[in-house]
Amino acid sequence: MNRSLLNKLFVFTTVTAAGICCAVLLFMMAVITAKGLRALDFEFLFTASRDFGAAGGIFYQIVGSLLLVVFAALICFPLALGTAIFKSEYLKNGHMQRLCAVLVYGLNGVPSVIFGVFGLIFFVNVLGTRISWFVGSIILAIMILPTVVLAAFHSINSIPQSYRESASALGLGKWQVIVKVLLPQGIAGSITGLFLGLARAVGETAPIMFIATAFSGVGIPGSFFEPVTALPTHILALTHQAINQQALQNAWGASLVLISLVTIFSTLGLWSRMKLKTMSLR
Amino acid sequence: MKNSAALRVVGQDTASEITAAVEINDFHVWFDEAPVLRGISLALQKHRINCIIGPSGSGKSTLIRSLNRMNDDVEGYSFKGSIHFDGEPILRKSVNVATLRTDIGMVFQKPCVFPKSIAENVLFGVQYVKKLSRQERLHLVEANLKAVSLWKEVSHRLHDRAGSLSIGQQQRLCIARTLAVKPKVILLDEPTSSLDPVSTRAIEDLMLELRQEYTIVFVTHNIQQAQRVADQLVFMCNGGVIEQGPKQKLFGNPENEQTRKYLNEEYCDC
Repeated sequence: MNRSLLNKLFVFTTVTAAGICCAVLLFMMAVITAKGLRALDFEFLFTASRDFGAAGGIFYQIVGSLLLVVFAALICFPLALGTAIFKSEYLKNGHMQRLCAVLVYGLNGVPSVIFGVFGLIFFVNVLGTRISWFVGSIILAIMILPTVVLAAFHSINSIPQSYRESASALGLGKWQVIVKVLLPQGIAGSITGLFLGLARAVGETAPIMFIATAFSGVGIPGSFFEPVTALPTHILALTHQAINQQALQNAWGASLVLISLVTIFSTLGLWSRMKLKTMSLR
Repeated sequence: MKNSAALRVVGQDTASEITAAVEINDFHVWFDEAPVLRGISLALQKHRINCIIGPSGSGKSTLIRSLNRMNDDVEGYSFKGSIHFDGEPILRKSVNVATLRTDIGMVFQKPCVFPKSIAENVLFGVQYVKKLSRQERLHLVEANLKAVSLWKEVSHRLHDRAGSLSIGQQQRLCIARTLAVKPKVILLDEPTSSLDPVSTRAIEDLMLELRQEYTIVFVTHNIQQAQRVADQLVFMCNGGVIEQGPKQKLFGNPENEQTRKYLNEEYCDC
């Protein structure tokens, strides 16, 4: 086979691979949008569900999902940033750096249901917390930690060494170099990682279904240790009633809202990357 | 850093006692146990341009980076010997490295301006050393930009991004930023190697002006440049000092054959 033909074959293979990926995503989005739009109206978005979701809307599910991910973000971000700074700026031993990387990647590889089971055993059984949205946020924070740590680490670590040296040579201490030079430039990538992590977290069912959510009968929680109802677990409950056409219709509607939330978080991630990068360069 | 060290410098033209800003005694450096500097002993003179020349890999940058302890952060760095600045040892663990670096400032090979405005870059280091009023900030920006002859060029756009300046202007801005901290010694590690001839000349003229107030330690590969600006010359090779003394002596009548060959741009097997 001549080189020109090989080259064309290679290009064809890559284009086909990319095309299949895009087609699958577009097909899913198109089906969910087409089916979900039929359920979507003001009442669906802003009223509580009734009859185990077969009637009414998904207001409390949206509130519950947002509550879970907002607190997951608040818990995860400082931990991730601290870990990333430690790994990038203080952990100079090569073996320890590799060990740290293995641990972070290892955490990323843990199946999400295991996080849920861990939360159930550790928080609910051992520590005696009841089923609580706050525990769900902690578990989601731990689950997305590797994504945010790696994004923050790569963002900080990619800042040229010359910035660190120039600031140090002016008499800035190590923490000042981190706070005044590295964080302003590295924060954009870290926040992007956070939003991408949240986009994943908002759609997770397994980690929260045992420890944070109830399938029905709950509203806005009055304390940290009450359950919420969330979109993924609500969709799961609705699909169990697949025989009921109205429940199925609501499942498509809830799926469209969930996928919209994922899209919003992903878009915020990309937007924050561009916006904060521009601001840090001013 | 009170006690000034007085010593006799070999080859000093007046042969009188002069003060050394920095004294280096039997200083060795290793990176991961590989020797990089071997028994350096030097006196860097106050208010002079002390120029360190030598081929690549001779240890010039390692030496000046040791003077403000920039090597401390490098993995595998170890040393033996002593360095005194204004008579005080600086390699002790008890020395506050951040304070030392405000006394011994440094400008690097490639200009590195922070992604901030021109004015903010000038103030970047000094504002963390002491609290400044608005008036003091304005004064510092103007005075230091004037000191590096950049004021006329940028006074109308102090709030523009520093990255919008030419590379030569950026390097002068880096020097202004260093001057704002009020160091006593300025280390310049090949500051003109990435600049065009006009910008190079501007930096050289600036160095000649600055030596009135500051002690300058200047590393360069460029022999003609050393001839133009140096007062004292140190020739390094393979991690050691081969010869040191006034520029006139080393260029006119070097004691060492390697020095003569290097300065005449002949093949030097050091």
